[in-house]
Amino acid sequence: MDVLQQFLTPFVNIELLLFVAAGTLAGIFVGAIPGLSVTMAVALLLSLTYSWDLLPALALMLGIYYGGVFGGSRAAILVNMPGSPSSVATSFDGYPLSQRGEARMALTLTTIFSFLGGLVGVAVLATAAPLVSSIAIQFGQRDYFLLAMLGLLLIGSLSQGSMAKGMFSAGAGIILGLVGMDTIGGGSRFTFGSLQLMNGIDFVVAILGLFGMSEILYQLKTLNEKGQTVTLKKMAFPPLRFLLGFLPLSMRVSVMGVLIGALPGAGGEIASLLSYDHARRTTKNPKRSFGKGAYEGVIAPEAGNNSAIGGALIPMLTLGIPGDAVTAIFIGALFIHGLQPGPMLMEQSGDLFWVMVGSSVLANIFLLIFGLLVVGIFVRVVTIPKQILLPIIAVITVIGAYALNNSMTDVYWMLGFGFVGFFMKVYQFSVAPLVLGLILGPLIDSSFRRAYMTAQEPGAFLIGFVNNPISLLLTLAFCFTLFSQTKTYQKMMASFKKKQKVFRK
Amino acid sequence: MTWKKKTKKLASAVLLTPMLFLAACGGQTDTEMSESDIENYPERDIRGVIQWGEGGATDNISRTLAPLAEEELGGTLVMENREGASGATGAQYVYDQPADGYTLLFGAENPNGLYQVLGISERDYLSDFQPVSIIGQSYAGIVVNKDSEFDTLEELADYASDNPGDITMGTSGEGGLPYVASAMLSAELGTEFNQVPYDGDGPLATALLSEEIDATVLAVSAAQEYVDSGDFKMLAVINDERLESVPDAPALTEAYPEFEKYLPWGPFQGVFAHKDTPDAIIDKLTEAFAAAQEDEQFQTTLENLGVQPLNIHGEEAIEYLEQNRSTSTWMLYDAGATDTSPEEFDIPRVDEE
Repeated sequence: MDVLQQFLTPFVNIELLLFVAAGTLAGIFVGAIPGLSVTMAVALLLSLTYSWDLLPALALMLGIYYGGVFGGSRAAILVNMPGSPSSVATSFDGYPLSQRGEARMALTLTTIFSFLGGLVGVAVLATAAPLVSSIAIQFGQRDYFLLAMLGLLLIGSLSQGSMAKGMFSAGAGIILGLVGMDTIGGGSRFTFGSLQLMNGIDFVVAILGLFGMSEILYQLKTLNEKGQTVTLKKMAFPPLRFLLGFLPLSMRVSVMGVLIGALPGAGGEIASLLSYDHARRTTKNPKRSFGKGAYEGVIAPEAGNNSAIGGALIPMLTLGIPGDAVTAIFIGALFIHGLQPGPMLMEQSGDLFWVMVGSSVLANIFLLIFGLLVVGIFVRVVTIPKQILLPIIAVITVIGAYALNNSMTDVYWMLGFGFVGFFMKVYQFSVAPLVLGLILGPLIDSSFRRAYMTAQEPGAFLIGFVNNPISLLLTLAFCFTLFSQTKTYQKMMASFKKKQKVFRK
Repeated sequence: MTWKKKTKKLASAVLLTPMLFLAACGGQTDTEMSESDIENYPERDIRGVIQWGEGGATDNISRTLAPLAEEELGGTLVMENREGASGATGAQYVYDQPADGYTLLFGAENPNGLYQVLGISERDYLSDFQPVSIIGQSYAGIVVNKDSEFDTLEELADYASDNPGDITMGTSGEGGLPYVASAMLSAELGTEFNQVPYDGDGPLATALLSEEIDATVLAVSAAQEYVDSGDFKMLAVINDERLESVPDAPALTEAYPEFEKYLPWGPFQGVFAHKDTPDAIIDKLTEAFAAAQEDEQFQTTLENLGVQPLNIHGEEAIEYLEQNRSTSTWMLYDAGATDTSPEEFDIPRVDEE
């Protein structure tokens, strides 16, 4: 049993075990601090581990990867500042939860289901990698366009009240996403001749401003009203039956997460957004409505983005194609250490594959252990008096924005977004659609144009939507989701239910 | 204290703190370097700015070389990525820093005249920087999917000139490898491709695997694995002789000797300092980076990455840059890929040299 032996290597080799553990723990903190990204941390390790053996280096990097993606949701839940784009969706219900004093519950639930989602990702990686990668490869630009459009339909769920305001907000996000050098034509958009603007707007900067800075300004406005401190509710560890209730949902979004993660052009951020959307549509009678602190609303995106890691490793290990920015660095590390990542990696260094799978399982186990252990520490953040917490967050947003690219431009953008977000909150515009537009806009833009350029003529372009199986499926899903939000559909469903009742009588 | 007062106080505290940080971050002073500063260089951390993103070839090479150069210099190199605008952002950033040798540019072939003729930026290696070291160069290959009807470059080129715009060529954006290579082909052979830009080697390989595009140009190191596995056919390597790593791929000049004048041409990586950096510091850096590259493990790394080591500096490096710049820019102009003549920037033609 060679495979089993390789799989168990990280469990029995104390050095690898420690590296995975240290990586996971460090990753949780890197992810939790806005402005520090997993990509940055893993890139740093590339120099640091240059003279090491390959396996310990990879073990450490994998640990950081899993810990970091998970850590991003800590700040999203506690202070409404998602540490990374892939934890934006977690803040939609996570922050309301912690405002209700249920931070402990939110942190515990997300830890457990991140762990489960991560395991599903690894399981798919271990059992079906070649199959998944052959599907992922067939995903064309047209399909990315459809996928992003599906994500955009989330506006309906995020608008909170006024659909028109939601559309406005998303539209503004899409336009802001256009700023910078056009990746297709090479022209400059809205840059006013400034090279700083050529880079476009990093969405982490937007998140720091819209979520972090604007919240601080908003809180200042309402500080006069008394009784704002959050009291933590006492909570026993959730009973197994309660947890099992979320199992079907978490499994569905995990499978979705792996598939989206495996796509070379989409990653954790899309996976978590679509998972949130899925939870919202399929949870029939949530105990609490979404956006107000629904448990499903934190479980789904966290299971989704952690399972996406296993997905991202699939094209990297089977084809040498990065599934996201972090796996791109992994590929670099393999090259540097003398391996040839590509379609023959599995044949030539199959042992590496199973050690990676083993380390991933191990990282998930450590994630569960550390995740639960640090809940007690993290949760205190909520009880810090505002007078102390707000200045700290203000500093973190500035440092975070600066650290991203070591650039002051990003800090100005962050402050700008802070003011915009503040006024949006005052006039009851939801800021979430804006971030959604900012994340999805560039993907929609480039994939639509690439698809059109490849097809070369309108006829061929349109036919492509129905005569390719993946495109057809996505087109149908898009049409159905759109239709299901109309009044006609709701009327139809209502009359259908009535008929059923009559029939039963 | 009333609530209102408290709020006001708090508000000013909250807003002041980041302001102070802004002030601290924004403050930069240009000071002349005294002789002892030069003598004692490096006295503090040196920043290495990588002009491409994490995980790319430039990033890999720079980050592996950095710890070795640290040993030679006796200082610390702090590496950071400043990608964007085909690397122009990073180049501009280094150019804007004081010319004291404490900010170095780890760059690829892009700032070598291409920014100017394509109108991306004014920065250029030869006029704005001094080469510390050209680390190595790689080769590019023209690839198609294994199921493609084209088995040779001639077939592809003939089809592409008879049916203009019918073949979809994946590129990595303006000024990227496939873009310049396509320009080279169309300048000499009159080919016309339907160019569709992607975000780099990875997405290009994916698109070619799924036959979303018909052909592309990849760094040989990036394509080699797919050629070995039989997924891609490499129709030609852009070089005047075959490469050991892909012995079956013919050299471009075998079918078309007229390309001789453009060669050698390909992507390269190097370390650069601001042009006004004191010579003594450039000398120190040059020496350190030259010695660092002699490390055996680093040589193996370059080999693994498909890079041919050059390790050249000084006059030799400048000549190399001049030749590469003339080739790329005139090629783009001749192919009609840009309306800005390289002449405007005093870039001589290759064959005039």
